[in-house]
Amino acid sequence: MADDLKIVGLLCNWCCYGGADTAGTARMQYSPNIRIIRVMCSGRISPSMIFKAFQEGADGVFVGGCHIGDCHYDAGNYKWSRRSKIVEDILEEFGIEKERFCHEWISASEGEKFQRTMEEFRKELNKLGPLELD
Amino acid sequence: MSYVLAKSQNDDIHKAGECGGAVTSILKYLLDEGIVDGVLAISPCDDVYDGVPTFVTDSEDLIKTAGSYHCAPTMIGDLVQKYFFDKKVAVTAKPCDMRAIEELITRHKIKRDNIYVIGLNCGGTVSPVSGRKMIDLFYEADPDDVISEEIDKGQFIIELADGSEEAVKIHDLENEGYGRRTNCQRCDVKIPRKANLACGNWGAEDGWTFIEINDEKGQELIDGAKKAGILETKTPAQGAIDGRAKVEGIMIKMANKVQNAVYPTVSEMDEWSRCISCYACRDVCPICWCFENCELNKPYFKDETNIPPTPIAFQGVRLSHMSFSCVDCGQCDDVCPMDIPVSLIFDKLQKKYFNRTGYVAGVSDDIKPPLYSPEKTEL
Amino acid sequence: MLEIKHTLCPSCSVGCGINVVLNEGEVVGTFPYKRHPVNAGKNCLNGRNSIDCYLNKFENVDEDALIGDIKKELQSADSSNVTVICSGNNTIEETEVIKEFAESNGFNIGFYADNLKNYDEVASYDDVENAQKVFVIGDLLYENPLIGRRVVHAKQNGAKIFAFVKAESSVTSNIADECFNASVGEFLDACKGEVDENSVVIFNQVDDADDLAKIEALNCKILPVFSKSNTKGALNILDAKSKDEMFELLDNTKVLLVFNDDIVDELEFDFSKISKIISFAPCANKTTEISDIVVPIKTWLEKDGSFVNAMGETQTFNAAIESDVLSEIEVIEKLNG
Repeated sequence: MADDLKIVGLLCNWCCYGGADTAGTARMQYSPNIRIIRVMCSGRISPSMIFKAFQEGADGVFVGGCHIGDCHYDAGNYKWSRRSKIVEDILEEFGIEKERFCHEWISASEGEKFQRTMEEFRKELNKLGPLELD
Repeated sequence: MSYVLAKSQNDDIHKAGECGGAVTSILKYLLDEGIVDGVLAISPCDDVYDGVPTFVTDSEDLIKTAGSYHCAPTMIGDLVQKYFFDKKVAVTAKPCDMRAIEELITRHKIKRDNIYVIGLNCGGTVSPVSGRKMIDLFYEADPDDVISEEIDKGQFIIELADGSEEAVKIHDLENEGYGRRTNCQRCDVKIPRKANLACGNWGAEDGWTFIEINDEKGQELIDGAKKAGILETKTPAQGAIDGRAKVEGIMIKMANKVQNAVYPTVSEMDEWSRCISCYACRDVCPICWCFENCELNKPYFKDETNIPPTPIAFQGVRLSHMSFSCVDCGQCDDVCPMDIPVSLIFDKLQKKYFNRTGYVAGVSDDIKPPLYSPEKTEL
Repeated sequence: MLEIKHTLCPSCSVGCGINVVLNEGEVVGTFPYKRHPVNAGKNCLNGRNSIDCYLNKFENVDEDALIGDIKKELQSADSSNVTVICSGNNTIEETEVIKEFAESNGFNIGFYADNLKNYDEVASYDDVENAQKVFVIGDLLYENPLIGRRVVHAKQNGAKIFAFVKAESSVTSNIADECFNASVGEFLDACKGEVDENSVVIFNQVDDADDLAKIEALNCKILPVFSKSNTKGALNILDAKSKDEMFELLDNTKVLLVFNDDIVDELEFDFSKISKIISFAPCANKTTEISDIVVPIKTWLEKDGSFVNAMGETQTFNAAIESDVLSEIEVIEKLNG
């Protein structure tokens, strides 16, 4: 069952994507359920992308950005951080548990944090099971 | 901010106006002095239930816009935005109109310098068709005989051609599903303080309009109209100011009671299963100004085969675009062919945003970092 | 100068009111007409897009030359081979003039009303709302939303909804208590026992004349809903032809005069068999595309007129904007002159 769960991961080019890369090159094991989409900045992600992912069948959506203060574009991750609250508020309205939506700040060197985050997120999703939208 | 009582010096306007004709007189002053190119106000088309936004360029025609119409749940924010961007205009605005205008100014879709807003205090509006049905059911009178209506002291009062009046408690009407529109029932912005002036009869003695002057531009209007000899003013007694504050307080209390009701979530509501994807809610929304480029029209969201649409891919997207700016005007409810209470969820999300940021759409002065600003703050 | 004017929606027979917005003398949009008793300011997408036919209208042409050509064409044809297509898009006044024109010249009249027919007694929209059982044939919530809304109200008032919709999923079946999708005939047979005097059958399609006979045999109010604004009004003046009768008529037609209709889109027929097709239309459609002569006429926004809505109420409307394009009545006057 667990292998069928689909996670869409939107990762910022400068930090979290690098973090995933680090995890990969160091051969750290993490859930293969995630489908990674690289974006230039977490500030580029709009709520509708998250909704679209859920509508298209994702069981969970992960967003990874640079640590606050480290944004390559100065304030992109602040924008994402504020936006993520709206996303949480809206998901709740549509019967999507907020645990299905996860975001984390992960730097390019934090391969181990990426691995850990993925594992925890998958465990959380395992508990919830597949998402059923009407 | 200061208060003044005003009435028209013009006999015809004084008679036609709701309470002393101050609003119409100020509009006349703006037109006659050439300060504005035109005035956008509501005038009844077929009867008192049929208030239609009307653009007036000749002050002789202003008389047809005099009087107040509760059965005219209109919205003028989007008209100003679409058709008067480069024109100098004066508009009359209920609080929700004003809030929409304010949000559109923030979005650079209306130029503040181009617009004079004469705000009107508002206890709520009634939908014309259900309003007529309500009069038919709860009053002795024939809806066709009503020449004017008013909301006062918790009652919806109708006046007939023979001068007689009938009143029914709004509470009783609303318990039966009539009375004010549901979004008006929960609206707690009764005085449009972002307008240059906020006018109404609350606290005023008969034949006078109570005006709250909100800014310098509003003060200039009063001074100018006085100087032009069209407006007479006097200072209201403390009792009048207190009386008005009391009315406002009662109205807000009534609204708060309704707000405490539990709103269901979209996934708990059956109504959304009859959405026909007609986009009427989006097209009528005064805040949704960019619908030619709307994300919902993009090929990756446009889904004509899936009716009803997956709610999160339709309303979810709209919510993420503008719910924090929802002014709760209820237009989306009014135009939905399937009677889906759309505004309920937008208003709810605005209130959630308020809880996070303290921002009330179209009312707050201190603009908290909106979703897309580069400010370095988190919620 | 901004103006907002009342008019009627021309997109189907429900008869909704709609306001048009004019700016600097041009039609720029629509605005809810909340005072209108039929729809209370609510309009479907078709309704709000109805002004597109004005915005995309044909450019002015030398009408007199075109009318001259048509006259020649009609003179050289045998009148029994000439067919006039009239439709629910025409106003009551126009339909009368078209009928008179066809009859006085000995032309055939082809009038297609969605394979449905006229009834003197039909249910009102209020009857639908107050019914205890509503039997819906067709996806009315989607195709005629402002009648669909009355079905929703009926449900809110506690009515039981039975629906026949061909498609597997639809908004109409979403609100129905019982759904069918095999055939209209089967649906009617299955529901016959449920129908009583507090029921309303509301339909915008049937498979064939047998279905109509079955509906008529039911002891309850019925409400046919048509796809065009004045089909009911035209039915009071003209007899409708069934699909088969239309095909037979078209088979024997050499010259086809189409008055404000898109018959090519509506009927699956090999129109290339007809030697001359002459179309009177305000804007392009599938019929004008294959027509030999196209005469531009006024859109409904440019003329006065009246429509009869599905429940039989006559509603009049006035021109929202002036224009010097010919109306259908003027065109016919010229053809007669």
